[in-house]
Amino acid sequence: MKKLILFLCAAGLLSAQDAPPPSATPRSRALELAGAFANDGYKIRDGFWAGTLEPGKPQFLAVNLFSGNEYWFSAAVLTPAAKLSVALFDDSGRPVDVEVFQDGAAAAAGFVPAASGKYFVKLGLVGGEKTEFCLVYSYK
Amino acid sequence: MSIRCDFLAAGLAVFSAALAMGAEAMTKEQMQSAIVSDSITIPTPGEFFSAMDEHGHPNWTQMFSPKSSVNTSSREQMALMLGVLVADGYLAAEAQDGQGVKNTGKEIINLTKKLGLVRENDEKSKGLLSRGTSLVAFAENNDWSTLREELEATQNEVKLSMIEQKDKDLVILVTVGAWVRGTQVAAEFISKNYSAGSAGVLRQPAIVEYLISGLGGLPEKLREGPLIAELRQKLGSVLPLVQTKDRAPVSPEAAKELAATMLALVNAISEGGRK
Repeated sequence: MKKLILFLCAAGLLSAQDAPPPSATPRSRALELAGAFANDGYKIRDGFWAGTLEPGKPQFLAVNLFSGNEYWFSAAVLTPAAKLSVALFDDSGRPVDVEVFQDGAAAAAGFVPAASGKYFVKLGLVGGEKTEFCLVYSYK
Repeated sequence: MSIRCDFLAAGLAVFSAALAMGAEAMTKEQMQSAIVSDSITIPTPGEFFSAMDEHGHPNWTQMFSPKSSVNTSSREQMALMLGVLVADGYLAAEAQDGQGVKNTGKEIINLTKKLGLVRENDEKSKGLLSRGTSLVAFAENNDWSTLREELEATQNEVKLSMIEQKDKDLVILVTVGAWVRGTQVAAEFISKNYSAGSAGVLRQPAIVEYLISGLGGLPEKLREGPLIAELRQKLGSVLPLVQTKDRAPVSPEAAKELAATMLALVNAISEGGRK
């Protein structure tokens, strides 16, 4: 697990106010964060969710998860002043307990479903301006 | 999941347990507005098999009995078979069967050629062809984890090529083929080695609904063809089996019925459906 911490430090993901490098995209930042979990045995899905997010206007994604797997949902935007949040809900819309990693423009939620089925991922933005986002997920 | 504790121990207060208490439930409008995307909402067969590993430790080598590609001129059947082969690729990866991966990868590329997704001396085709080469390389290096990621990337690239060449109706068929094959393998194992934990992975009504809806959205000419009609009918018949109350696992009887129905569908894909 120390590798994970070192990776996040090296990648600058623990420093919220750092401006992203000019070549960075929301997807590259989300993959950077997900890469830390990959070091812990998580496989990153090739598929991703991208779009535009406005402060106070959360967006939702439907996913289908399996009991027995562990999941991390990693998201990023490029606005350094933004605070991104990731949350999960069950198929009836009730919030579920997750582990949260939050670092300004990057955030992740870890979840171990007790039951297989449909869940919703909520992506929210506090502060900053309307911005592009990307979310990827990984499992093991 | 011990990541939070390790982070806190390191003095980095970036992790926290976000408890449901106090958080607001979603509204009906929010649930209805949720994005559903083929490339991320639908899990890969690899995720399915990973969950099975946690519950039952299947003998993947015994379970890997690859389906041979089809000799048909039906583009729908070829797209469905592509999905079946992708699931076979994941099975071969679980079984760590390098030769199985190579054979499956070759079959996938052959089908993409028959579908016109890959052409000789075509710049755009290089991406897909290099995926085939990568699959072989990862298998030779026993890099099974990366191989699983490459299989999904290959499937996504196939679907993207289908959209680019105005064959978007075929995309859902690849997804259906992969799901049917993955479920057949999982349900067969679970029906023979039943436990409530393992049967829990079969409870995926939203995926079955998505597939039925996708097939229902095909143009009439495709939708009414014998193979697609059989898929729609049989997927409709298994929906009540996987739509359990209170998130309960699928029953032993339902697992058995699901396995039999999915096997019939895999065979129908191989053979072209009811004549």
